[in-house]
Amino acid sequence: MSVRPPTLRENRRYILARVQPAGTPIDQKELYYAISDAVTSLWGDGMAAVITPAVVAAEGDYVFIRCRRGTERELAIALSTVTGCRETKLALRILATSGTMESLRERKKGMSRSPVSAGYAPAKPAEGPSETPEIPEQLPEATAEVPEYQVGGVTYTVTHCDGQKVDVIEKGFKNTNRLFLTRPDLEKS
Amino acid sequence: MKITDAAVFVHPNGDSSVRRMALEAKALGFDSIVAMDAPSCEYEGVTVYSGRCIRDRAMRDVIARVKQARDTDAVISVQAGDNGFNRAALGLKGVHILRGIQSAEKTAFDHVAAKMAADNRVAIDLDLSPLISTRGIARQRVIHRYLDILVLEQRFEFPLTLSSHARSILDLRSAREITGLCSLLGMDTEDVARALGGIGFLETPAPAAVRVIG
Repeated sequence: MSVRPPTLRENRRYILARVQPAGTPIDQKELYYAISDAVTSLWGDGMAAVITPAVVAAEGDYVFIRCRRGTERELAIALSTVTGCRETKLALRILATSGTMESLRERKKGMSRSPVSAGYAPAKPAEGPSETPEIPEQLPEATAEVPEYQVGGVTYTVTHCDGQKVDVIEKGFKNTNRLFLTRPDLEKS
Repeated sequence: MKITDAAVFVHPNGDSSVRRMALEAKALGFDSIVAMDAPSCEYEGVTVYSGRCIRDRAMRDVIARVKQARDTDAVISVQAGDNGFNRAALGLKGVHILRGIQSAEKTAFDHVAAKMAADNRVAIDLDLSPLISTRGIARQRVIHRYLDILVLEQRFEFPLTLSSHARSILDLRSAREITGLCSLLGMDTEDVARALGGIGFLETPAPAAVRVIG
């Protein structure tokens, strides 16, 4: 089948969205199913066929979602009803809409700060006299030492730092809860 | 006019601290939030109102609890019940918001209750979490109920509030997303802006019932 000339191709729009919580591993296919389910459930099969949502790229915490031109609003409303992907709870924060992925990548470059994500690295007890370990400004590598904190009698380790925002996860192998805190919260704990 | 999320639940009722919730709310375009069972404060320019939700079946208990909470600076809300309960709650001095209409029975909020809400300046809360997290018939029922409330709101002009009932920062939605979700209910941008600023009635005095001219 020959490729259609540009004037006969359908026009597309691309939405740049950030996935929260930061550091969530994104499976493009699973995310597509979650978005497709949200669109179909909200707008029905007919409108979903018009919107034709697709996850075209996932780069770090950012995803590029494609739709037909003129249906961005409908897709954006449907995206706000996406609450999870498989068993993982997440939220999609729409950042920008554009006609090309290239311009969205430019926008992403301008937006991206340098938040620090830690892998599930083995934690080491904090040294020094202070009971509360210092919250790291930078966790450069996955193998970095991650401090531990006690919140409500449960031990948590830091998974992500971004300015004032600190995400911590319960230490353990299963049923580990994630808490969304700030630096002052951890300093008090 | 402050853009307010009229109900969020913070740690230990949720997984996010009140400060983190305030930070995220600010990033999503809110000026204030009502945090249930949390002290009121201000953080990074976001006003956190203390919220108290009363969920009792017996009106006697509700009256006692409202009396207790009336002297505090908390935003007092009552969980909706049947029609008689709602009318009694709307007539109670100190009640600011009636919540959970979508999960009450069909006849729980009628034109008489709507008139009472308008007269007593009690806001009716539209909880957006069922629109976000439910699917199918459950969501359709909620949309239908909200459409009915909005018809009464057009007629009687009682205050509305919008809330995400977020128990996590992941449940929060931006003001723009809320506008999109409310468009499902036929609300335009102005209606949504008015409803998001609905909590402002706490800070403005009630207009006098009789105004002397000249």
